[in-house]
Amino acid sequence: MTMPQNSDALIAELVDGLEPVKPLRLGEGVALALVAAGVTALAVALLFGLREEWLAGHLDPMQLVSTGLFLGLALAATVTVVVMSRPQVGNDHGGWRWAAAMAGFLPLAGVIVALARGAETISPEVMRHGAECLAGGSAASLLVFALLVLWLRRGAPTSPERAGLVTGVAAGAFGIFAASLHCADNDIVHIGLWHSAAVVAMGLVGRALVPRLIRW
Amino acid sequence: MRADEATLARLMALSQQGDRQAYAALLESCQRWLRGYYSRRIAPSSLDDLVQETLIALHTKRASWDATRPFLPWLAAIARYRWVDHLRRLYRADEHELHEELLGTDDEPAIAARISLDRLLGLLPPAQERAIALVKIEGLSIAEASAATGQSESLVKVNIHRGLKRLAAMIEKE
Repeated sequence: MTMPQNSDALIAELVDGLEPVKPLRLGEGVALALVAAGVTALAVALLFGLREEWLAGHLDPMQLVSTGLFLGLALAATVTVVVMSRPQVGNDHGGWRWAAAMAGFLPLAGVIVALARGAETISPEVMRHGAECLAGGSAASLLVFALLVLWLRRGAPTSPERAGLVTGVAAGAFGIFAASLHCADNDIVHIGLWHSAAVVAMGLVGRALVPRLIRW
Repeated sequence: MRADEATLARLMALSQQGDRQAYAALLESCQRWLRGYYSRRIAPSSLDDLVQETLIALHTKRASWDATRPFLPWLAAIARYRWVDHLRRLYRADEHELHEELLGTDDEPAIAARISLDRLLGLLPPAQERAIALVKIEGLSIAEASAATGQSESLVKVNIHRGLKRLAAMIEKE
């Protein structure tokens, strides 16, 4: 918008251009991300199939715990992103960090176990399977990622860098949650390192790309 | 007449529905409030531009206010964001003197104190706050600020850079 010469002229121009707007609601933003995550999970299940053990009626505790932690992180980060879209002095944007700290025990445990096992954790086969999950989880995060960026563009995030990071973490955690519906590997090294890597990678992508898309 | 929080919130809710009369009254009130809010925290020659930039931001981002939440903390977050952005873009202000004007919400001192720019600046380490105040707000040169504070010129620059980065990360902090 071209800046008028004085504030009265600007106000007249803004009033003249006023159109009704629909306020950004917290529930609407979170629901949008959940629908996108659900669509992604459904697409993974339909395209690649659900875990074979589930179809056989078996549930693995490690898989349930890790998937639950990633889902918790995804939800906490999503709520934070939506809160960031509606600025207010006094807002708290730190809630997702607790969920991230809890999920952070997965890579920590993965590293410890990998060190104890030694060279077998970096065999070509293990690396190839891990890279597949990293790529699959990252790809599965893109729909949530895009919708959260669009949501932020409608809003007014006052910390674009932080909003970008948290957007990437939310999308990455939802993405690896969806990919986990197919991945049949319940090993802590695989989940702790490669599944967590998808969240970290998307966090870095969000931190690098999103600020320039949402700055206002 | 200075509008209070309840009046501003009501006007904003009507504005979101497209009520132009309410919107004109809201923008007039916000303009006065912003002038008070920014006074003493920006070079007088930049005040008009910054107020207008913030009014435009209010207009383009008006959907980001929720009628269930207070209005002034929302407006203050928008204003702080524009202010920090303005300081970042500013290399040197033309003015050296500050206008002593009243902060715009003296009828609600508790809210005004929590959302003020002084409070935000006060969250910085003293050396960073001083460097930003002298160079970015009062318009001193780096050399003049160095002489006034006893910091080396490079340290003044570092403190400004780190201070602005920290301010940008704390815009919504009380």
